[in-house]
Amino acid sequence: MTLTLAHYLALGAGLFVIGIFGALTRRSVIGILMSIELMFNAANINLAAFNRFLHPEGVTGQAFALFIMTVAAAEVVVGLALVLAIYRRWDKVYMEKIDILRG
Amino acid sequence: MITAIAFYLMAAVALVSAVLVVTLRNTVHCALFLGLSLAAVAGVFGTLGADFLFASQILIYVGGIAVLMIFAVMLMGRTADLTLRQVNQEWLAALLVCAITAAGLWRTAKAYLGTAAASAPAPATKALGRLMLGDYVIPFELISLVLLAALLGAVFFTKKEEGGKT
Repeated sequence: MTLTLAHYLALGAGLFVIGIFGALTRRSVIGILMSIELMFNAANINLAAFNRFLHPEGVTGQAFALFIMTVAAAEVVVGLALVLAIYRRWDKVYMEKIDILRG
Repeated sequence: MITAIAFYLMAAVALVSAVLVVTLRNTVHCALFLGLSLAAVAGVFGTLGADFLFASQILIYVGGIAVLMIFAVMLMGRTADLTLRQVNQEWLAALLVCAITAAGLWRTAKAYLGTAAASAPAPATKALGRLMLGDYVIPFELISLVLLAALLGAVFFTKKEEGGKT
């Protein structure tokens, strides 16, 4: 039962698919943000696994995973600030209620 | 052998708690399980030998993002939410999308079924530091600019407007 690259890719695919399901079906904005975090993690697992199995002499994949982590942190900070501003101003949490741009 | 056991354990924890994150009704429980899932992903990084990623995953994701999520949930919490449906009507279509995506991803992944690791993992922190301040110094500086912009944006969006308009 030796571990291959396909094991890690399958784990990443599973996490990514669960994240897609959450982003498509959750009603609250925070739930969607959490699902997006799951998808970022799946991408990071894939990058680190490709780095380990296909290019073990370098660390470029891990460097990219670090950049993705930083971008994810920035994204979640701005996203939660927007969510809080919407909540304070209109008292709305659920996606289908936030429709002021509807014509 | 130990690596394989650790991988299967961490993968099971990550997948099960990820499913709970997207299906549970209580958003506080969702945020807590998100923290557990992210910690299990840190363990997966550990089995890959990515020591710096392991540490920064725990510092940034478990210590930062999951806690931030819990804060936001508590700031926006309403007791009525505990009994409401948290999943919309489109779950069947979403399952279809997920099945198609999973099939496509698996077609790609199964090409690597025979790719085993050639050598034992080496510590990566020193090489990462050299890469970040060598070849990747411009993206490294740009990412700090992105963080500064995110900080300013968060302050701008959450501050109260003057004159009591908000």
